[in-house]
Amino acid sequence: MVRPAGSGRADGAGTKQGGGGGPATRTASRGARAERLAPYVLVAPAVLILVTLRLWPLVLGVNYSFTGDGADNGTPVGLGNYLELAGDPLFRTALRNVGLLVLLLPVAVAIPGLLATFIYLRVPGHRVYRGVYFFPAVLSPVIVGAIVNLMLGFDGPVNAALGTVGVGPVDWLGDPGIAMFTVTGVHVWATFGMALVVFLAGFSTLDASLLDAARVDGASLGQVVRHVIIPGLTRTIQFVFVTTLIGMLTSMFGLLFVMTSGGPEGSTYLPEYYIWHQQGQLNRPALASAASTVLFVVMLVVGLAQITLLRRAGRQD
Amino acid sequence: MPGMRPARWAAAVPMAVLALVTVYPLLFTANVAMKTRREYVLDRFAPAGSLRWDNLAEAWAGAGMARYFANSFVVVAFAVALLLLLGSMAGFALSRLRFRGSSLIYLGCLAGLFVPFQVIMVPLTRIMADTGLVDTYPGLILAYVAQFLPFTVFLMTSHYRTIPAEIVDAARIDGNTVYGVYRRIMLPLGVPALLSVGILDMLFCWNDVLISLLMMPSPEHRTLMIGVNSLRGQYSDDIPTFASGVLIAAVPVLMLYLFLQRQIAEGVTAGSTKG
Repeated sequence: MVRPAGSGRADGAGTKQGGGGGPATRTASRGARAERLAPYVLVAPAVLILVTLRLWPLVLGVNYSFTGDGADNGTPVGLGNYLELAGDPLFRTALRNVGLLVLLLPVAVAIPGLLATFIYLRVPGHRVYRGVYFFPAVLSPVIVGAIVNLMLGFDGPVNAALGTVGVGPVDWLGDPGIAMFTVTGVHVWATFGMALVVFLAGFSTLDASLLDAARVDGASLGQVVRHVIIPGLTRTIQFVFVTTLIGMLTSMFGLLFVMTSGGPEGSTYLPEYYIWHQQGQLNRPALASAASTVLFVVMLVVGLAQITLLRRAGRQD
Repeated sequence: MPGMRPARWAAAVPMAVLALVTVYPLLFTANVAMKTRREYVLDRFAPAGSLRWDNLAEAWAGAGMARYFANSFVVVAFAVALLLLLGSMAGFALSRLRFRGSSLIYLGCLAGLFVPFQVIMVPLTRIMADTGLVDTYPGLILAYVAQFLPFTVFLMTSHYRTIPAEIVDAARIDGNTVYGVYRRIMLPLGVPALLSVGILDMLFCWNDVLISLLMMPSPEHRTLMIGVNSLRGQYSDDIPTFASGVLIAAVPVLMLYLFLQRQIAEGVTAGSTKG
């Protein structure tokens, strides 16, 4: 590869000697070629890494998903892995939980949206809230999970607080009907600060004169939200919807790993946990690849559906 | 807004409660970390009798946290340095230089943003194993670089787009080579973006669980977050020491947050406003 500094100096030297004939012109043209190649040299390392460690694995993974595991390693099995996934109750639970997350998504977007609205409208103490709400978002899910585990213990603070209002202790992480809601709630609590900050950035681009006009007209808060804030923030809302969904589908592993390990009774499995478990613990990489491919397709479909829906909703306004 | 004043006050109450709920777990954990086991068993809510640091010392030494810290530190430092170097090089070329295939490469980076790690983790682990990079520092560093490079390139490209092309042209006319422009103009002008992207990359790498779990199987290579999780088994009957370990692991990020809150928020929002 051409050495950057060296080639630059050769270029300068070439022009200074000017008209000296053969060798100098050759150096000059070599310098010009180095200049033409420079953009490629600058992007090459990034492209190399992205192609070999992100795009190529994507192709490989889809490929693996049609081959066998163990004794059948490498031999084509057609749709065998996908059929096995369809019949695996754990994977079905994982997909059902994805459905649950998609259903809870509007709530996960509305909470930071509403809080950002109040902060923007300068609720008493608004300066403090932004900093406080955002801080769990910078902590690792391992730390959040470990701290929350202490909070949710059978005789921990949460149950103690509930006890004072007469609600019996809840087995937050041990009850298969509750655990997934608990983990999702913790995820939303720990990450809504991200969306909040994004909303606030969106608000800062909002036309203040519209708000003033609404104020003069004596609009209620609900009217302001419906007619000024939502139409003005369509792009921000879209962005938050998509990133929150991506966050839910791809960054809950840490919490699952620390809080439930997929249990109780497999009730808190998500595709990412299933993939990790099949590959790392059960040595079924081909089956795991099939699950990866399903996850990818689910994310594409849900993401695109969301964007189309939001676009349509935006146009109606 | 006359109709809105009561609404604002009504909102202040739940918002204050939420703020307390957000801070309390950390205070509770810090308090538990200061207690003796006896104090914890008798009453886990009462303030610790005195500021006691032996739990922290025990967690630090007993769990070998120094090793986890060192591992995380080395890996994150190299990964972030590489990310910023490669990200700014590519961002400069993609935003301010004309060359064949540049828009294709930019689209490729954007596409990379939407390929989650979970989707490629099986083949990636196999590639790393085949090349002997599993369970090595370079392997984990490379995995992090690959994971966060699309984001880094994307943000650096959009930052460099805000720098007037005339500055680049003028520097070229003054006789700078492309590399000279990068080193003397674009790197210094990129500092604000490099800072906020760098902090975010640092947080992502430092907080990661899944990638580190896959790439570093042996105990002596554990990064801090995996190490903290292993405290759970070691101190399952000694919650104060466990809480101390968790607290120690949280301190660096809390410090970072206290001092660099604004930059972190800027990095997070950059993606939304520039997209």
